[in-house]
Amino acid sequence: MTRETVIDVHDLTVRYGTFEAVTGLSFEVRRGELYALLGTNGAGKSSTLEVIEGHRSASSGEVRVFGEPPTRRRSVRPRTGIMLQESGFAEDLTVRETLGLIGSLSQREDRPERVLDVVGLAPKAGTRVSQLSGGEKRRLDFATAIFGSPELLFLDEPTTGLDIQSRDALWETVDRLREDGATIVLTTHYLEEAQQRADRVGLMHRGRFRMEGTVAEITRTLPATISFRATAESAEIPLDHVRRDDGTVLVETHALQGDLHRLLAWADERDLELLELEAGPTRLDNVFRSIAND
Amino acid sequence: MLPIARSEFLQIVRNRMVFVSATIVPVGLSFVFISQREVFAQSPTGVGLLAGAFMMILISMGLYSTAVTTLAARRQTLFLKRLRSTAVSDGAALSGIVIPPAIIGIVQVTAVLAVLASIDAPPAEPLLLVVSGLALVLMMLGFALATAGITQSPEHAQVTTLPITLGASAIAFWIGFTGTEELTPLKRLLPGGAATELTISAWNGGAEWGESLLLLAPTAGWIVVAVVLAKSMFRWEPRR
Repeated sequence: MTRETVIDVHDLTVRYGTFEAVTGLSFEVRRGELYALLGTNGAGKSSTLEVIEGHRSASSGEVRVFGEPPTRRRSVRPRTGIMLQESGFAEDLTVRETLGLIGSLSQREDRPERVLDVVGLAPKAGTRVSQLSGGEKRRLDFATAIFGSPELLFLDEPTTGLDIQSRDALWETVDRLREDGATIVLTTHYLEEAQQRADRVGLMHRGRFRMEGTVAEITRTLPATISFRATAESAEIPLDHVRRDDGTVLVETHALQGDLHRLLAWADERDLELLELEAGPTRLDNVFRSIAND
Repeated sequence: MLPIARSEFLQIVRNRMVFVSATIVPVGLSFVFISQREVFAQSPTGVGLLAGAFMMILISMGLYSTAVTTLAARRQTLFLKRLRSTAVSDGAALSGIVIPPAIIGIVQVTAVLAVLASIDAPPAEPLLLVVSGLALVLMMLGFALATAGITQSPEHAQVTTLPITLGASAIAFWIGFTGTEELTPLKRLLPGGAATELTISAWNGGAEWGESLLLLAPTAGWIVVAVVLAKSMFRWEPRR
């Protein structure tokens, strides 16, 4: 079943003077999915996100959010929650006052107490924003974005500055929103988050997509690896693309299951124990590195 | 707009430095002048000089400076950017931020002129006084938005607001001390000049209504200039 398109980007270009930050970008985000927009530094992610969020106009191309130009705030924003990368609060307001203000401006209904409870800031409701730690401000950021359970949620580096407990709590809340049908656009430098959670990923470099697809499709572009500690018998391994690196044997393979089976059978025949054995598909950060080095 | 304005009032009251510079300083200055009203009454424009000067000082310090400082602070902390990430329009966001300084300025002017009226004599044309005051408020709000565009921080606002604060006050005193019989076109065309003349004649009386309302034209022109400057100079985010 094809899901409805929530974000439709067609041939987007963003220029700053003569510099082209984004060139001919096209992609769509469907309802209910978590789309991770990743890229190297200066790849154009922020510019792309700013256009989709409606903070900046495109130099050319077309962007639609819920079928409307994202700059049409009155119709788009009540359905959209945005967690900015950098916190921007009035320092002299309390946590509750801030959430009440930003929540009321979102034009979505909710109770500030409920949202503060969800993000673990209920004990700080009466505290001024100036007295919050960096992690607490980040949680307040998240609270303003999820106020009223928006249909579309932009998470820009959501877990930066959060401890492990706060991160887990954030992702639990995001998972609950997704169960209710919310669509998520995520940017993050923590690639393992994208690897674990994204339905689809767009990898940008120098203003263009270098890869786009599911995590499995993207990680399949590079070989999987099998590794174990080298022994005297390692030279006889019956596999291709074997190399040794600092006492470790590394095997690159596009047929992980088959080659792992052959390796284990070979070790079994010789009664060998493969110490520190690891096997798995390539990770997103390896793909990222291969693009960044391009 | 109203939730933003309410939160801005809260912040002005909670920030001691802003509260003092927005309220106590301009009002205190005005009472110093009131205590010397007999000296000022000797001028060609009489006690009307004080009305014109108060209007300008209170609106430029209580409204204009506070609005610039507030807008610079909200931009520096990325609060303006946060407001733009909600469903509120740019106009509503800016209105919500500048309404409290505008109300504070209007309340201050009303209070100080009420004190002046009670110890001297009430204004001859109070309605004209209100019209002149509102025109000045609109002009100064426009200048505040424009000045905020070149103001990097609340501390920087102490410098960037000086030309208009001091300049407008100087113009008001110049007209008050010398009248408008000489160099009339120049005095009327300077920012706040025509509004000051209107304030003085509204306080002292004796001018025709039609002739007085014509004095609104230069101020209206300055409002247009201020709005054009604000549209080209105002920034929502700090320069990267």
